[in-house]
Amino acid sequence: MKKNDLKSMGKSFTKYILIIGALLILLDFTFHRHEYFSFAEIYGFPAFFGFVSFVFIVMLGKWLRKFLMRKEDYYDQ
Amino acid sequence: MISNFIPGLIMIITSFLLPTIPQYFRHPAMLLSVGLSALSLFNGYGTFLEWDILGLNLILYQSDSLTLPFAIIFHIAAILVIIFSWHSKNLMEHMATLAYAGSAIGALHAGDFFSLFIWWEATALTSVFIVFAGNTNAAKDAAMRYLIIQVSSGVLLLIGACLMLYKTGNHNLAVLDLKTNFGIFIFIAFGIKAAFPLLNGWLQDSYPESSVTGTVALSAFTTKLAIYALARTFPGTDSLIWIGAIMTAFPVFFAVIENDLRRVLSFSLNNQLGFMVVGIGIGTELSLNGTVAHAFVHIIYKALLFMSMGAVLYRAGTTKASELGGLYKYMPFTTIFCIIGAMSISAFPLFSGFVAKSLIMSSLGGMGMVLIYFILFFASAGVLEHSGIKIPYFAFFAHERKNKVKEAPINMLIAMGIAAFLCIAIGVFPKYLYQILPYTVDYQPYTLDHVISQLQLLVFAIIAFLFLVKFKLYPSEIRSTVLNSDWFYRKMLPGIGKPLFKKIGILTESLYKNLGLSFKQVLSKSYKFSNLSYIKVTTPSFAGTILISILFIMLVIVLV
Repeated sequence: MKKNDLKSMGKSFTKYILIIGALLILLDFTFHRHEYFSFAEIYGFPAFFGFVSFVFIVMLGKWLRKFLMRKEDYYDQ
Repeated sequence: MISNFIPGLIMIITSFLLPTIPQYFRHPAMLLSVGLSALSLFNGYGTFLEWDILGLNLILYQSDSLTLPFAIIFHIAAILVIIFSWHSKNLMEHMATLAYAGSAIGALHAGDFFSLFIWWEATALTSVFIVFAGNTNAAKDAAMRYLIIQVSSGVLLLIGACLMLYKTGNHNLAVLDLKTNFGIFIFIAFGIKAAFPLLNGWLQDSYPESSVTGTVALSAFTTKLAIYALARTFPGTDSLIWIGAIMTAFPVFFAVIENDLRRVLSFSLNNQLGFMVVGIGIGTELSLNGTVAHAFVHIIYKALLFMSMGAVLYRAGTTKASELGGLYKYMPFTTIFCIIGAMSISAFPLFSGFVAKSLIMSSLGGMGMVLIYFILFFASAGVLEHSGIKIPYFAFFAHERKNKVKEAPINMLIAMGIAAFLCIAIGVFPKYLYQILPYTVDYQPYTLDHVISQLQLLVFAIIAFLFLVKFKLYPSEIRSTVLNSDWFYRKMLPGIGKPLFKKIGILTESLYKNLGLSFKQVLSKSYKFSNLSYIKVTTPSFAGTILISILFIMLVIVLV
């Protein structure tokens, strides 16, 4: 029972976020979004930028663990 | 009479009187002192108190349009911290916190570099007791390192001030540049406290070691005082744009892999300072307004996030992501407040971060700085990652929790509630914030273009998170230490220095032996020192020696 709580919350959260995401992209087609830089006015540019940046940050961070991660008591040794 | 009283000073006096006040009345007395100090906010602009001493004219109390917003938010932060720590009976920490907040407020009103130096060191000396109050061995070690770094910043400021007086005959706060040597000294002094790249190690080292309540106090004052000082003396300094951009981007990678959520917030703090530093570097009225607005809202939502993690630490006993999760069931109010803080820092429309960050982004866009603009846009996705998602997700959700814990005490909930209210109120009614900014600028943050653009960025970054979790690509929480720039003086320097000192010791001893003298005879009065095993080089003292030597050498070079 308990496990289902978090899982079902996660599922409905995912559902709503995807719906909002789709609406935001659709909205982009209904008006001309003015930006400071013309290439950012391409349909869905901020969405694409947000998605790619996020994945890049997480993946690069994960890779950096190889160089930056030490044991918890590293400074006590 | 009260109008000539330096703001914050009444708080420092009260802090010294706290031991004489019964426990029950301490917090009301602290609040009263902040209230009395806050009366100064109604004094208007001008110079109110000067002091001629040793042929110098010190401006102890002045106020203008840049001072006021910082003074307002420092008073609000002091009130939040006092309410949040209402349950605590740690006298030393209360004294340190009140004196620290008072010193920071005093510093804002200094009109010359010598007065600023006095307050600058006062904030260091008072806040170190807050780190000490963490009351673990790690906290005590971190406090020593913190003190060395903070005092060094003050010494650099003093050197800069002396050189400035010597070369120009003036020591009042003024706009400086990096073409003069005193400008460089003062710039580095401010840079240490503002946690510039590679000078930032102290921040992530000390803040997470402090107590449940201490970190909240620390997060508000020191770094924002440095931002204020930079905004006053180095507006429009080009190098700050790049320094700030690096500060926004780099900490996000460290925050991804850090396990201690209070340390994640410390990296996040560093990243937020980057936005403010960029605003100072651009130096236009719009961007400086952006910096001040960002500092203002940042103090509130960062305090809120640190308070929520403080509450978690208080109830669950840890803020390590690897040991948390599922707290939403037991701490529902803390969860909601934390999410409000997370949405504010992530700059969701209708939350305070949005109306402040927009000013800086717009000034970058308006100047056509495309690369910096997108570094900051990229860093915004990073903010969402570590503060928007990681903090609430790992603390309150992630997985079910086996052991029950209680909701945070009522005083903590009240403090968090006030901060959360302010986050939303400023986000919904930004004009009240804009009214207290240094320059009059007609700015509208809520345009359809801007709202949609920001929402697309944030929503699709969240979708990226869900995607990474779904495919098990999101890095799991691992108990670990993440190396940061403090590694240089905690590991590398002692690593080189200790064997080197030992070698020098052995060489000296053999030299004496060759000369027919024993080390014992030479130092017969202090026998202990002749035995090398007694010479123990501890890290803080070693780092301190190195730092003082460097400062001394720099002083000699400049004077020559």
